[in-house]
Amino acid sequence: MGIGYAVNKLIQTIATIFFVLTFNFLLFRILPGNPFALLFRGPGFSRALVNQLNAQFGLDQPLWLQYLKYLQNTLIGNFGISYTYRVPVLSILVPRLLNTVILLLTATAISLVVGIAMGLVSAWRRGGKTDFAFSTSTLLLYSMPTFWLGLILLFVGVIYFGLPVSGMISLNGELTNPFALSSIVDLSRHMVLPCLTLVLGLTGEYVLIMKGALLDVFTEDYMLTAKAKGISNSKLLRDHALRNAALPMTTLIAINIGLAVGGAIQTETIFSWPGIGLLTYQALLTRDYPVLQGCFLVVAIAVILMNFLADLLYGYLDPRIRTG
Amino acid sequence: MFALLFQLPAHPARAQVSPDTFAIGWDSSPIDQINPMLTTLYDGGAWVISHIIYDKLVQTDSYGNIIPDLADNWTYTDPQTIVFSLAHNATWHDGVPFTANDVVFTINHVTANQALYPHIGQYVQNIASAQALDNYTVQIKLKAPDATFFSASLLQLVIVPQHIWASFTGNFSTFTDNPPIGTGPFKFVSWEANSYVQLDANPNYFRGAPHIKHLIIRYYNSVNAMVLALQSGEIDLTSPLLPPTVVSSLTSNPDIQVFTRPDLRYFYLTFNEFPNGTGNPTLRDERVRQALEHAVDKQELAQRVWLGFADVLNTVVPTALGSWHNPNTPDYVFDLNMSKKILDDAGYKVGPDGIRASPTGIKMIYNIDVPNDYSEEYRAAQIIAGWWSQIGVKATPRLMDSGSLGNEEAAWQHDVVLWTWSADFLDPAYFLSMFTTSQDTCVPGCLGDAGWSNATYDQLFTQQSQTTDTAKRQQIIYELQDILTAHAVYDPLYDNDAINGFRSDLFTGIPAGVIPPFFYFGENSLLLNVHPIGMAAQTSATSTESMTSTTSGAGVDLGTIGGIVVVIIVILAAGIFWTRRKKQPKS
Repeated sequence: MGIGYAVNKLIQTIATIFFVLTFNFLLFRILPGNPFALLFRGPGFSRALVNQLNAQFGLDQPLWLQYLKYLQNTLIGNFGISYTYRVPVLSILVPRLLNTVILLLTATAISLVVGIAMGLVSAWRRGGKTDFAFSTSTLLLYSMPTFWLGLILLFVGVIYFGLPVSGMISLNGELTNPFALSSIVDLSRHMVLPCLTLVLGLTGEYVLIMKGALLDVFTEDYMLTAKAKGISNSKLLRDHALRNAALPMTTLIAINIGLAVGGAIQTETIFSWPGIGLLTYQALLTRDYPVLQGCFLVVAIAVILMNFLADLLYGYLDPRIRTG
Repeated sequence: MFALLFQLPAHPARAQVSPDTFAIGWDSSPIDQINPMLTTLYDGGAWVISHIIYDKLVQTDSYGNIIPDLADNWTYTDPQTIVFSLAHNATWHDGVPFTANDVVFTINHVTANQALYPHIGQYVQNIASAQALDNYTVQIKLKAPDATFFSASLLQLVIVPQHIWASFTGNFSTFTDNPPIGTGPFKFVSWEANSYVQLDANPNYFRGAPHIKHLIIRYYNSVNAMVLALQSGEIDLTSPLLPPTVVSSLTSNPDIQVFTRPDLRYFYLTFNEFPNGTGNPTLRDERVRQALEHAVDKQELAQRVWLGFADVLNTVVPTALGSWHNPNTPDYVFDLNMSKKILDDAGYKVGPDGIRASPTGIKMIYNIDVPNDYSEEYRAAQIIAGWWSQIGVKATPRLMDSGSLGNEEAAWQHDVVLWTWSADFLDPAYFLSMFTTSQDTCVPGCLGDAGWSNATYDQLFTQQSQTTDTAKRQQIIYELQDILTAHAVYDPLYDNDAINGFRSDLFTGIPAGVIPPFFYFGENSLLLNVHPIGMAAQTSATSTESMTSTTSGAGVDLGTIGGIVVVIIVILAAGIFWTRRKKQPKS
């Protein structure tokens, strides 16, 4: 029974990935303009040269043929050659992915811990002053536009705290050893502002979901029963409330970790953080199809895989699901 | 925008960068590769950077004059043959001496791979042959006399080392050229695409080592971040240009010098005049275009859209091109009554709905399309539509994705478009070339977007391209500009200023009024001229830093306080509201 459930989910996962592949291909070709049509306005460019480039990258071929080639290449792990960088897409994607994961996982981890703690306190003291303070402040930050919050933090951080404006490292014209202590300190300095922006934006979601899930559990009859049995508050919370509230949190965490791989386009752009989000943004501006497809595929696969994991975890956390 | 919102204190600590490191910010086209042959418009950043690592045969000084680079001097033995004497002491960054063979190799390599190099390939199209007469003499034969050979072709043709490029056996369309080995004043250290490039001074540069030790080019994704970086000392110079809205916040900072120069581009209105086009056919009537041009106040537009940081234009050759711009071409003065009279006389009567229609009944209803990467120009289109409505013309401004707009133009479906042209060489030929019949009447379109054709113009254009006598050529160039304006083919609006900021407290040597974007022209002259202000100035700068940090610590500016107060009030108000609402059901 358990195996059947996993196999079923696996087939669904593969089907979704295939759908995403197709969707990725079509999505960018529906966009107006093509990578080289945009070029002709450039100094010294003409449409004849643009046609030449189109031919060079096979963009003059019929769409279905391009699609078949794309499927074939993706299946053998060939993501193609970037139109602008002129190197294999994977060789750009992998280092950017690493940069993104450093930033996003740190931010997700911090906001997760802070968010769960605040959500728990809020739910426990529901209606109280702490709950009010936590709920309003996180809700306010959660609904703030990221680019606005980021810009404000950028100005304040740079002017009043002397933090760096952009990028991951300070440049002094020399090569530095990325594993030296000074480099790590430097990296942390660069991470403060983008990380803070992300944490402020992400925490609200965890607080609200955590609080909501706990409040649902608190109103269940078995909680009252447990309380009547004289179980201590901490045991009540740990064994009865948290276990049940873990389900919606698992989904949220799984989806967020999956999305984390996609980077945070706005935050990475404001702070010029060279991650997947910034790569996507820049590739979109230049209509670099292979890079865009690569980015979206990586994100989609990450989200789908994390969902698959969440589904499996669900089965473990909630025995009813395995059969139902 | 935010720079104005926040009253910035003077610069805080310039923490990370050593005093002999010059850092330039760049926020335009991506820096996505460093192979100088593969660069296109989209890697404009990489393009200019490869010009710092590599050299050409000739270069320009900061004012746009052609001066020696790898070629010490040159003579025309006949109108189609040029002999170049090359520098004897130039060496590649790996120590190998530079010789005439490298020049010949480069020209032959580009010629053989024109299909791979669509951009740089066009600059060798007129070269018949290149031959090394000895180790330091090269003879180039042209297919036809070429007035733009120096000002266009040679200024773009970077010379690459034969000993490296000839030994590469793979596909040149994916040749990364890492590390790039050039002969220029700066050597490559490291880079991260669209993030930064680090360069070191080349102590053996054959025209003398630079005064700065390191050169950093840092890529910014927003102009706000770049301006902030200039103020905080992360960079010392912005490029390629800043919007006029940030000027006031920069000029108030004594450490920053703001300099402006006319940019090498201009904004214009084009009308769809193509006989087989599907745009509004009334625009093919020259009188209609003249009437429309009389109803545009360029001075007002330059003031309102560019805050005065733009010069109005009477021709399609921008003023940055100096003596090539014809200042005497008569322009269409702003006069709405004149517009009305021209249209009345031509039989375009005002209908009951207030909109004029042609004698055959076609209404004067136009779209003014504006590309979204110049969204500030949408405002200009709105103002123009306002003037036109007063003469009985209904115009609708539309902001469009530039890719879609390009496709619309290529299919000749547009009515009126507000767009811009910029050149990457200091010659008027490019700006004038798009009105020749071969470039302006293609389906799908070639370079031009007016669809206009004129035999006299074509003939004069060919004539100028082969006239190597500057004075004679200037006469023809002037005449070409006169013809275009007389026929109202385009309505050239204005050329904007390139505005940039420079840390004058830390470095000196940016000559006033350099050619912008100085990167494309005279980049070496400029970077060889920049040097750090001595140690004495450095310590005084540090003392200012400590002073400003105390003042900024004590007196947080009003804008920030105001913002914080507003947020607190909002939270309090929400809190009171919430608690009241909660209490009500209880009581």
